Amino acid sequence: MTLGERFGTERPVDGRRRLVWAGAIVSLAFLLLLSRLYHLQILRGEEFKERADENFVKELRVPADRGFMLDRNGRVLVDSRPSYEVFFTPYFCGKGCDEVLGRLATLLSLSQEEVQRVRDHERTARGLVRFRPFGVKVDITRDELDVIEARRMELSGAVDVLPVPHRNYRHGVAGSHLFGYMNEVGAEELGRLNEELERTDSDQRPYQAGDYVGRRGLERRFERELRGVDGVQRVVVDARGNAKRDSDLIPEEQRQTAAMPGQNLVLSLDWRLQEFAERTFPGTAGVVLAMEAKTGFILALVDRPAVDPNKLTGRISRAELAAIAADPLQPQLFRAIQQHYHPGSTFKVVTSIAALEEGALRPGGSVYCPGHYTLGGRRWRCDKESGHGPVDLEHALGASCDVFYYALGERLGADRIARWGTLLGLGRPTGFDVPGEVPGVMPDAAWHDARIPGGYRPGMALNLAIGQGDVNVTPLQQLVLYAAVATGKVWRPQVVLRVEGADGEVVREFPPVDLGRVPVKPETREAVLKGLLAAVNAPFGTAHGSRLKETVLAGKTGTAQVVALGAKRLKASEVDYFERDHAWFAAFAPADDPEIVVVVLNEHSGFGASNAAPTASAVVRKWLELREQDARDRQGSAPPTAAPPPAPADAPPDLPGKPARPARAAAGAEGADRAS
Amino acid sequence: MPLEMAGIARVGAPEQRTLARFPWHLALLALAISALGVWNLASASRSAHAPVWVTQSVFMGIGVVAALLAAVVDPRRYQRHAWVLYGVVAVLLVLVLWKGRTVMGARRWLSVGPVSFQPSEFAKIAVILALARWFAIDAERSPPRGPYGLRGLAGPAAVVLVPFALILRGPDLGTALIVAAIGGTMILAAGVRWKALAAVAAIAVIGATAAWPHLKPYQRKRVETFFNPEGDVRGAGYHSVQSMIAVGSGQGFGKGWGQGTQTLLSFLPEQHTDFIFSVWAEEHGFAGCVLLLLLYYALVASGITIAGNARDGFGRFVAVGATAMIFWHAFVNMGMVTGLLPVVGVTLPLLSYGGSSVLAIYVAIGLLAGVATRRFVN
Repeated sequence: MTLGERFGTERPVDGRRRLVWAGAIVSLAFLLLLSRLYHLQILRGEEFKERADENFVKELRVPADRGFMLDRNGRVLVDSRPSYEVFFTPYFCGKGCDEVLGRLATLLSLSQEEVQRVRDHERTARGLVRFRPFGVKVDITRDELDVIEARRMELSGAVDVLPVPHRNYRHGVAGSHLFGYMNEVGAEELGRLNEELERTDSDQRPYQAGDYVGRRGLERRFERELRGVDGVQRVVVDARGNAKRDSDLIPEEQRQTAAMPGQNLVLSLDWRLQEFAERTFPGTAGVVLAMEAKTGFILALVDRPAVDPNKLTGRISRAELAAIAADPLQPQLFRAIQQHYHPGSTFKVVTSIAALEEGALRPGGSVYCPGHYTLGGRRWRCDKESGHGPVDLEHALGASCDVFYYALGERLGADRIARWGTLLGLGRPTGFDVPGEVPGVMPDAAWHDARIPGGYRPGMALNLAIGQGDVNVTPLQQLVLYAAVATGKVWRPQVVLRVEGADGEVVREFPPVDLGRVPVKPETREAVLKGLLAAVNAPFGTAHGSRLKETVLAGKTGTAQVVALGAKRLKASEVDYFERDHAWFAAFAPADDPEIVVVVLNEHSGFGASNAAPTASAVVRKWLELREQDARDRQGSAPPTAAPPPAPADAPPDLPGKPARPARAAAGAEGADRAS
Repeated sequence: MPLEMAGIARVGAPEQRTLARFPWHLALLALAISALGVWNLASASRSAHAPVWVTQSVFMGIGVVAALLAAVVDPRRYQRHAWVLYGVVAVLLVLVLWKGRTVMGARRWLSVGPVSFQPSEFAKIAVILALARWFAIDAERSPPRGPYGLRGLAGPAAVVLVPFALILRGPDLGTALIVAAIGGTMILAAGVRWKALAAVAAIAVIGATAAWPHLKPYQRKRVETFFNPEGDVRGAGYHSVQSMIAVGSGQGFGKGWGQGTQTLLSFLPEQHTDFIFSVWAEEHGFAGCVLLLLLYYALVASGITIAGNARDGFGRFVAVGATAMIFWHAFVNMGMVTGLLPVVGVTLPLLSYGGSSVLAIYVAIGLLAGVATRRFVN
């Protein structure tokens, strides 16, 4: 009974017979398929072809609601209002495209430019692209909507008007730079964005030509989070694009895919403080920044001048854009992070810390100020021409004596000053949420050697010591610097507390991030703090007029030269606007346990003491008021039996656990009011 | 050492002949269909989110490698380990029911790290190998077992029914039916007594009647509408009618690559997978369909020939199973798209998008190639 025996006998015969059967069955099956295909494609092909041509699905997008931006108390800052957008689907106008477009151009009073854009698209669209609706005009008026609805029949099924949420910046110019704006996606960008969506396996739909995309600020940085997932509405239409009412060929569940709204950004701003700062700040151009000293979260961010993002979001004309670009005040510039300024005397804290830590100034050491300082045959002037006499650190910082710092500058040299400037966060981007930061300049000797003809000379350290020369900072870096002086930590400034889903669940939370401790001895901190206290609270202090009775404010004024001083001192009103000095004030409070840091920059306004400090102290006072008010409100709303526990000393008491957020519907209704 | 030597001695000698016997026509057919498949997907996916044809090409590459591996290994090795594979697949099928990923109401996917796959696709291969082993051993008994009676069928039936039930539970009616069809074909190839056949048919009819109330409503509706597709155009008949319009409107020579309006304008939601044939039929017409039918027919016919020339029982049954798998997939899918059969989720071999499906089909082709290469006893 071997293998060969059995295979030689009956089984293969049996097996083969079965395989012949199998072959026959398979052949029959394929013949069946073939005849079926013949029946469908050849015999009934014409009929099915007609049915196919009378039978299209028009896919209309249901745009997702873009996420809101809210302040820390849940107040809506940026949302969307309903608007109407006109779409054009080339396929359905057949041969009559020119006519339809001509009528549309008249009805919507489209500009030459806009008409050309649509015509180009119509001409170049091939194949299935002709079935895709193409945006003609965004945010049409009520009147235009009525006209189009009335002339429906003339426009054929190629024209659709769809409700589309339009971005709404509720407070206009305020916060403009921070929020950013939106406009149409560019052709190259389109490819890049879609590639990114694909690479990250996003469930969002690809961007299409005509889509709006976040530009600048948080709109851009959080584009993905804010965007949401568009829905689709499928309508069966005939060859002319008109909906077929009688035959709803598409199963119920496939007719509409609901849009998923984007996620909301909860910002750390307190809009009440922001509004107050906007009102109080007198500058034409400049920045007001307020930050929690112990977390690095921004409380208010005024940045002037700015363009209303509502204007930028939409079809702004070329002339308007050109006017903005040509404005000498540069309203497109996000000054808080994108402009370099000399820090002026506000930089003296850095020099002071460097001098004490490096042993260039012994504790209690003083310098005699005759009103000028001489080095290598050159004379450096003090701010006070008559001189301050003998000054120690407290006096020098408080009264902003330049000679004292010239002396420290000579002793220290640029390298040792730069070392401490860097430790305090200068000379590199702060890591803020919004992209596009400039890094600032914290020059050391090597820096001068590399950039300045003739290289580094000791005189440069003198200019550096008083915040002139080549040191450059952004207002946000100033904020980080003073927070570091106040708390000993270099914070990453942040403005987004958390990202929330549309129904309020927290998607992502941003904890405070400190980028490093500043290794300053307690004695050094104390000595510098004494100087900063003197600047505000001592009778000789430069900001004496801005002291507060509610809290102890510590700060430093600064006046940054824009052009080299001439032989004669001039009053601000006597020089051209763009040649006037910038006024700085940087402060924190309460001095013994700092909780808020404020920086004010008033461009081309003259002295820090008179044109920046009052705003800063007003903001601090307002913040204290708001905090008290919130505490009262909390107490008032708490049930009488349960005594409200006092806020822990180390937690900022105005950080609510979970602010009440207005319902989306309510916000939408408000937007609707606005639109009508 | 001696074992290895033996191995070398056994494999080394017929190496050249092995290469000579490699069924090049089979490889050529598979690659031709694959190429058409990727080309067709490129058309179907132009409006979709991701270019699936790129992914599909990668799957094809992996599939070819898997097929070569499957072909190189001596079938006797599969015979030895058939039950191990069967056991692993059974466990995976249980696992998928328990913690699989749900897509459109059915649990079919299992994720391991970044890779997710459908164990049900590999269940087909496992059933083929397990049944082939069963019948091969029966054939070596003395005296060899003649045509099977009802009692003899119990074992093979159980081998098929375990994965069948698990997959059906998914619920994945299409794949479950394919597993049953493969098993049935192999059992018929092994020989069944007429009386037993009649009894099984009766049981099937009774079983189907009993199972009817337990089917998901959509499954029941699909079968109902199969008998009268135009009666319910809006609901369950939707797929059938739309797909027939797509196929029919292709007429003689089709609308051209990328020009299909029916399939691409989203009348058919599963255009990448189960309804891919409608894209082909619409864009390439009757001529294109004939070409594709010829390719599949040639593939199945060579499978049958390979089964006929297999050197042993195991090889023959493996070939029968692999061929049955390709045939049933192709026939049921095209029958469904053309409205001949009710709509069930069955893929079209090498045309439908999907990694697990492509891989399983290529492994089946690899098994066929392996059997063909060793067609005579050395």
